[in-house]
Amino acid sequence: MPDLRLWLKVPPRRDVARRLLPAAAVVLFALVPAVPFFTDPWLRVFFLVGLYVVLGLGLNIVVGFAGLLDLGYVAFFAAGAYLMGILTSPQSPVDLRLEFWVILPLALLLGALVGLLLGLPVLPLRGDYLAIVTLGFGEIIRILLVNLRDITGGSQGLAAIEKPPVPGWQRIDEPWQWYYVILVTAVAVAFLSARLRDARIGRAWEAIREDEDVAAAMGIDTVKYKLLAFATGAAVGSVGGVLFASYIGFINPTSFTLQVSINVLAVVIIGGMGNTWGVVFGAFILIGVPELLQFRETSDVLERLGWLRTALDAPFAALDALAPFGVWRVPEPETWGRLVADKRFIIYGALLVAVMVARPGGLFPSRRRKLEFEAPPPSEVAEPSALAAGGSQ
Amino acid sequence: MSVRPLLEVRGLSVRFQGLLALDSVDMTVPPGQIRGLIGPNGAGKTTLFNCLTGFYRPTGGSILLDGVRIDGMPMHHVAALGVARTFQNIRLFANMTVIENVLVGAHRTIPVGGPDQLRPRRRHEQRLAEVAAQLRGLPGGVVSSLVEIAGALVRPPAWIRAEREAVERARRLLEAVGLRGRENELARNLPYGDQRRLELARALASRPRLLLLDEPTAGMNPGETLAMMDLIRRLREEYGLTIILIEHQMRVVMGICEEVTVLDYGRKIAEGPPEAVQRDPAVIEAYLGTKFARQLRGGHGTP
Ligand SMILES: Nc1ncnc2c1ncn2[C@@H]1O[C@H](COP(=O)(O)OP(=O)(O)O)[C@@H](O)[C@H]1O
Ligand SMILES: [Mg+2]
Repeated sequence: MPDLRLWLKVPPRRDVARRLLPAAAVVLFALVPAVPFFTDPWLRVFFLVGLYVVLGLGLNIVVGFAGLLDLGYVAFFAAGAYLMGILTSPQSPVDLRLEFWVILPLALLLGALVGLLLGLPVLPLRGDYLAIVTLGFGEIIRILLVNLRDITGGSQGLAAIEKPPVPGWQRIDEPWQWYYVILVTAVAVAFLSARLRDARIGRAWEAIREDEDVAAAMGIDTVKYKLLAFATGAAVGSVGGVLFASYIGFINPTSFTLQVSINVLAVVIIGGMGNTWGVVFGAFILIGVPELLQFRETSDVLERLGWLRTALDAPFAALDALAPFGVWRVPEPETWGRLVADKRFIIYGALLVAVMVARPGGLFPSRRRKLEFEAPPPSEVAEPSALAAGGSQ
Repeated sequence: MSVRPLLEVRGLSVRFQGLLALDSVDMTVPPGQIRGLIGPNGAGKTTLFNCLTGFYRPTGGSILLDGVRIDGMPMHHVAALGVARTFQNIRLFANMTVIENVLVGAHRTIPVGGPDQLRPRRRHEQRLAEVAAQLRGLPGGVVSSLVEIAGALVRPPAWIRAEREAVERARRLLEAVGLRGRENELARNLPYGDQRRLELARALASRPRLLLLDEPTAGMNPGETLAMMDLIRRLREEYGLTIILIEHQMRVVMGICEEVTVLDYGRKIAEGPPEAVQRDPAVIEAYLGTKFARQLRGGHGTP
């Protein structure tokens, strides 16, 4: 039954390590809240990282799989967040008493619809034009949020958004609980998007990315599949929005700026388009590290670098003593973390440019999944006339 | 003629701004034939292929595939009716693996997405499919899309079976074109000749009735060319294909084409059995001064 292995994607023995690695990583991640070192502030940072992993994986369906450059991804994130906000905040006029678990699937649906809404007008556009129009779409949604004051609370936003209830228990509120919520969501999204990628729909997306005209000549309804990419990616973004709104408890339009779209895109590109681990890594570097740099623990560690500061500062100190005007001096080491965090967009920019120049495929370019197509040993495919077999359809 | 032609091109014209790339071209191809399409560079051969596959909308005339009008149809509908092609300048999905390329070619034959893989063969079936599509409108597309996505996520036994059969077929096709064992290589990493063969396998994967080959032996050495000719002949037999072949090497044209159509400046200047076309003064005139002219004169000119 060698072929059955192939079909059920049972990995060949030498591939087991590659399969076990993700499982081991998930187990490790699941143990994080049990480590006393990771206090609540850490878990909050990890939640943010996890959220960006979810968003990155969602955008990756659009940008990485289907090759559609979408700069308005924040619109879908906002759609989910405001759905959650409008349906549960006491400040909104809508009072349906819906709970988080009902809103989640609704958000999936709403996200897909908003994705179609964006997809329909931009379908004929390619490349740069698509990027510009989607960028505008993201802004339109944000302006709508500001102006539809009666429903969205305008720039005041919506507060006291509900937390997810757990039957027979309390509502999810503690950072460690949210940590698990985002971990489960991220793992689920990673798993499901990999399944889409390895199916007919995923191949159609990739074919469109590679060469849209040829994809159409192969019988792929490119309009339909591009819409599906937008809708699927948007649905994921919308779910991320629901989680974010419920976690934060308070939303207003400043949380849904172009910067979010750019951050998510940067996460996808730095990590390597199409690669789940790349997205995890990108989210950690771009979202997690700047937060961690501002931790007191970080300052405590940096404080011990006084000697380095003295060394670096020596030329400036000398200059300062000589020059009649004030000279910039290297700041105290404990402020370095915050300094880097404040300048993170410059660093992102430089990092992005460096990655695009040095490794256009991202730091972890997506490896082709080969082994599911591992050829059986020759004896098993030997047919008298392979051609005749192929022709007898 | 007793058999209904598989392909009927009537008065086909294509104008690009000032340039008349095709000028009232008529062409009739009976089922099962290997038809050569020749002519100097820029004669409009590739343009004709682009019309046959729905990539260009002709400015005049009509194209009938087995009695169904296909000119101006969206490309994927034309493909669904059984037209497949290869490209003069190889256009593989470079960053996908060899077998994935073939699986994309097989897209319509993998039954996972509901009604969109209806493959109407006869005229009334085609009409029926169109009406059904209109009646259903968007909801039909939504339903088939949901079925496809749900199937991909859940992977029920039927999905696994469909995928399994598709991969098995893809592997047989790769074997048929001589690419066995290369399944997992990136298409971009294949040597040139193998890329041409992969394009052929990908085109075959859609189960075409009409196969359009745009210079399949371009850039091949004599040995590879012979192998490719052999392959084309074999594929025609095994799959019951009708083939139109754009070709520059006279030896290939003489070797495998039953009839040849000659284009020059967008007009059909000759048509008939290769031996007759080869002696046609208009053809010799069109090719005057080109390398091809020597081949014409020499009969089986050197490649
Ligand atoms: N998309 C296009 N736009 C403008 N001109 C075109 C286009 N496609 C082809 N042509 C022109 O049409 C003529 C026929 O081209 P083509 O069909 O590629 O010739 P060939 O017989 O060599 O395949 C050429 O003069 C070419 O420049
Ligand atoms: Mg050409």
